[in-house]
Formats: sequence, structure tokens, C-alpha cells
Amino acid sequence: MLTYIIRRLLGMIPMLIAISIFTFLMMHLAPGNAIDAMINPRIKDLAQVQKTLEAQNGLNLPLPVQYLHWLWNVLHGNFGFSFSQHQPVSSLLGPAIENTLILAILAEILILIIGIPIGIMQARRPYSRLDYSTSIVSFVFFSVPYFIFAIFLMYVFAIHWPIFPAQNAVGTGPNSGSLIDHIYHALLPAISIALTSNTVYSRYTRGSMLDVSRQDYVRTARAKGLQEGQVFRKHVFRNAMVPIVTQFGFDIGGLIGGAVILEGLFTYQGMGLLTINAVSQRDYPVIMATTLLIAIGVLIGNLVADIMYAIVDPRVQYN
Amino acid sequence: MAEPLLAIRDLRTYFISKNTEVRAVDGIDIDVQKGQILCVVGESGSGKSMTSLSIMRLVPKPRGKIVSGEIVLDGQDLLKLTEQQMTGVRGNDISMIFQEPMTALNPVLSIGDQITEVILRHRKITKKEALHRAVEMLKFVGVPRAEQIVREYPHQLSGGLRQRVMIAMAMVCEPKLLLADEPTTALDVTIQAQVLELMRKMRDEFGTSIILITHDLGVVAEMADHVVVMYAGQVVESVNADELFEQPLHPYTKALLQSIPSIDADHEVLYSIPGTVPDAASFPAGCRFAERCPLAQPSCFEKAQALREVRPGHLVRCDLVEEGGV
Ligand SMILES: Nc1ncnc2c1ncn2[C@@H]1O[C@H](COP(=O)(O)OP(=O)(O)OP(=O)(O)O)[C@@H](O)[C@H]1O
Ligand SMILES: [Mg+2]
Repeated sequence: MLTYIIRRLLGMIPMLIAISIFTFLMMHLAPGNAIDAMINPRIKDLAQVQKTLEAQNGLNLPLPVQYLHWLWNVLHGNFGFSFSQHQPVSSLLGPAIENTLILAILAEILILIIGIPIGIMQARRPYSRLDYSTSIVSFVFFSVPYFIFAIFLMYVFAIHWPIFPAQNAVGTGPNSGSLIDHIYHALLPAISIALTSNTVYSRYTRGSMLDVSRQDYVRTARAKGLQEGQVFRKHVFRNAMVPIVTQFGFDIGGLIGGAVILEGLFTYQGMGLLTINAVSQRDYPVIMATTLLIAIGVLIGNLVADIMYAIVDPRVQYN
Repeated sequence: MAEPLLAIRDLRTYFISKNTEVRAVDGIDIDVQKGQILCVVGESGSGKSMTSLSIMRLVPKPRGKIVSGEIVLDGQDLLKLTEQQMTGVRGNDISMIFQEPMTALNPVLSIGDQITEVILRHRKITKKEALHRAVEMLKFVGVPRAEQIVREYPHQLSGGLRQRVMIAMAMVCEPKLLLADEPTTALDVTIQAQVLELMRKMRDEFGTSIILITHDLGVVAEMADHVVVMYAGQVVESVNADELFEQPLHPYTKALLQSIPSIDADHEVLYSIPGTVPDAASFPAGCRFAERCPLAQPSCFEKAQALREVRPGHLVRCDLVEEGGV
């Protein structure tokens, strides 16, 4: 298992390099650059200033040289300097990742503790009135974009009854608050995500449980005299969780990218907000760094999914 | 004869949906004596599996339903028990093994886990004692390295070993009755013989009665004390094994016996019975076999046949068979 994990981690390196080259090219092929975004277009000697700044930032060098320069620095732990925020990129990334992870983990916990029990309940009595009614509610919630919930929750719990903050005060920089403070700020956005996304898990759980309950070994479990609750807990649920746990692995990988719209709405200082601001300001070093991290997140997520799969299903063996 | 261990009386198990009623089991009477191996034979769809699932009260829900009858085990009608009481019978007084040892074991639980859970369900003992008992039972059914096997998972075992594990699991609470639904069909021939031998050993050791469902008349010849022949949800002949092979009386049984491949032949010649089993959703009014019967008379198509004792201990559902049996 350990050698398998190491092999997979090494296998990520070429993929990450390919992703970074691709991002690098896409950024530089788009019209305009960071200098355009930064300087006031009405100053004197515009062209001259632009030239000087470009030269200072190495933007006049050939692209391959610029890329290798970037790669060399990253390998030494240096992600460069943000054009727009005048700080080292790494000092922006740290708090953003932390915030995003807090939001993601909180949302994921809520998704699971809402979605899985609903799915189990539906699978215990499929095609019953309870199954139909909860399914309809789930689908309605699922078809509403999460920012609608966000706006609604914000109105009710931040403005009407000001229990939670509507805007995020903590975040980047030296003023970021304690963990409790972070969680407090992340709660409303997390609930907004969970209200819609739990449907994915409830449907998945329901389908998987129904699939499994038709299997021969469930009949065997009943033939042994186990009671219905035990049959479901030990035999049906355990097997039904195999695909769900795998899905969960994939999901947590994707979450590092942050929820762009939601982070915008709550001015939540996560990866999503950082990336989207960087894109609009052509802040190349920040874009390169966030893209790289998001890619690493997805790849690690896939690895986690495979590892979880092997843990829950003894038939799966990696050599 | 002594009081039977199991007495099934006029059992009817139907699959009921809006506009159809599939009569999978349609009025069956079977007696199983203590320590007896009773074989149930019949073509596919004749209701053998549904009979055994009815005994366990595990007919597929929600459409399958036991609509009437009695299943009396040791003086107790199982159909009168509550579901909760019935779970105390399953795996304890009556156990079951299935055709596919591949899919009948849970892939994500260890062998030890799956065997001990039956013991812990029905006996008041500790986990450790239960595991010890599981290992003992595995040794008894001839599983090598039993101490290691309890920690392994079903996919790590061969088909034959899995079926031995199933048997160990079924026998670990020493049930009075073992239901085996084609337990060897999925195994290759040498393993088949070993598993059958093992089942006989179980009967000899524990005095367990066995209902063995099979397609294979070779298995019947090998194992059976008593044979019940089923056709279209009914019993058409019921007799001890020796007499069945010497003097089959029902035309369907005769046809079945002719379909045994002869042992000496290099290439197996299978005599298959022409025609097909009638649809269980609309049985004919008269004899259900008449359409395929070489001896059928016009009266056979009109009059439903009753199961009669034509000779002592020899029951036949055919009016053409005379008293004394011809
Ligand atoms: N889930 C079900 N829904 C509806 N009808 C069913 C169902 N299961 C079985 N039946 C019907 O019940 C009848 C008896 O089936 P059963 O499985 O008992 O046959 P069998 O004798 O065991 O056959 P085989 O030798 O193929 O195992 C068949 O007509 C079958 O179509
Ligand atoms: Mg069957």
C-alpha cells in the first residue's frame, strides 16, 4: 500500500508540470497583461513606464524562459510576488487555503450528516409516501442554486436576526481570527452548500442501499436470523458505503478550488475569491499558484478515493 | 411412522400484483422425518426454491406472499409466529444454504465475522468463545488452516471452500433442519461429491434433517432417503428413493428419469421432455402435465388431479395410475 501511494504521488509530478505549462500559456495568450491592469492609463510616458515595469518583472523575456524561471522558483518554495496585492504569493495562499478548507470540511460534514441519513431512511421504505415526499423536497432543494439559499440565509440570520456575520472580516493578513471565529464565519456559506449538495449523497445512498439489499448475501443474513436493523446496519450499509466513500474522496479533492460565487457573496477570503480576483487583475503569480494547488487538490482527492476504496472493500488490492 | 419433524400442509405461495397472480407454490404437502434427507426435484420454475423460502418465511417481498397453509416444525406452526419470533428460528432451528457460494457470502465481512454473528445471535456466549466455536466448525467441515481463514474474506477462497464455509455457518447452531437449494450446482464435479459427502456427515453427526433441492437425479440417487417430485407448483409424486427409481408411477417422473444421461455412454444423451411448463399465472383447469403427457386421455384435460396414496407410502397425482400402482 505504501509503495503504491508513493508511486501515485511520483506519478503526479509530470501531470502537475503539464497543467502548469498549460495554465501559463493560456494566461499569456490572452490579451493584456498585469502591467496594463495595474497602471493608470492617463500618466505621462505610458509606453516608457510600461516597458520599464515589464522589464523589471521579467515579462519581456521569451515565454519558455519565463516559465522555467517560475518553475525554478516554485521548486525552491518561492511562488513569486503578487502584482496587485504587493505581497509574496505564499502569504496570500496560506490564509486562503485555511479558510477554504474550513468551509469545505464544514460543508462536507453537513452534507454527509444530512444526506446519508435521508438516503438510508428512504431505502428502508422504498416507494413509500415518506420516500416520495422526501425525494421531492430533495430535488427541489437540489435545483435551487446554492447562492439563492445563501442570500436567503444571509437575509434571515445575518440581517433580520443578526446572529451570523454577512460579510467576512477575518481572512488574509495578520488580523485573521481564531479557529472558532473562522468556523463562525464559515457556517452560513457551509449551510448554503449543504442544503443543495446533500441531495447528491441522499440519492446515492438510497440507490446504493437498494442495490445492495437485492444481493444474495443479504438474503443469507436474514436466513441467519439477524433482525432487520442488524441486516441493514451490518450487511446492507457496509456494502452500500463502498461507492459513497469513493465519491467522497473525489469530492474533497475538488473542494480546494473553493466555491467562487459563494465566497464572493460572503466576501469569504478563500481560494475561490483569491483566484477570481487574481484573474481579473492578471495577477500571473497568484493565478499560477492557485491553479497548481487546485490541481494538486484534485489529484490527491483521486488518490484518497482509491485508498478509501481499498479500505472499505477488502477485494481491492493495490500492488 | 413417528411424528414428522416438519409437516407442510396445503402451502400456497403466490406472487400477487395488480392483475396477475403467479402461483409459485400451489397447495403442497410435504413431511420430513427426523434425520431424513429429502430431495425435491422438478424442472425449472416448478416452485422448489419458493417452497424452501416459504419454510424460512423469506419469500421475496413485497409481491411474494404465503397465502395459506401450515408449516409445522416440531409441533409449532411457523406461519403463526411473529416476525420477531421467526428470526429466532432462522439460523437456529432451520438453516439454509444457497446455490451460489460466490454471492451468498458478504464480500466486505471476514469469514469469522460472518460465522460468529449467527452464534452470537442465537447463543449467549462471548465473542471469543464464538470465534473458537467458528474455528472448530470450520475444521469439522474440512476447511484447512481454519485459524487463518476466519480472518480472510470470501474472495480469497475457492468455490468449494466457500460452500464449506456456508455449511459451517448453517450448521454452527446445530439446526434441526437444513434447507439446501441446489448447493452443488455451481461447483465442479469432484468438489460436488465432497460437499454432498459433507452434508451426509452433518446428518449423521447432528441428526439434522435435510431438504435438498436439485435438478440432478444423480444427486438424488446418491443422497435421498425420500423424494418429492414437483411440477407446476404441486407435488406430483412422493415416495422413498429406492422405490422411485425402481417403480416411478407418474408419467412426469418417468419422463424425468429417462432424461438422466446414461453413465456408460461416451457422449451424454439427454432425453428432454417435449413442451414447456405451463405459465404459473394461468394454470390449466385439468392435469397440469396433460399437455406434455404421452398417456393423456381427454378426461385428463378437464379434471384436476388429486394426490393419492396408491401404495403404502407412495403418493401420486395422476388418475391413470391404478390402486396398487401400474
Ligand atoms: N420474484 C418473483 N416474482 C414473480 N414470480 C416469481 C418470482 N420468483 C419466482 N417466481 C415464479 O415462481 C415460480 C417458481 O419459482 P421457483 O424459483 O420456486 O422455481 P424453482 O423450481 O426453484 O426453479 P429453478 O430450478 O430454476 O431454481 C416460477 O414460475 C417463477 O416464475
Ligand atoms: Mg430454484
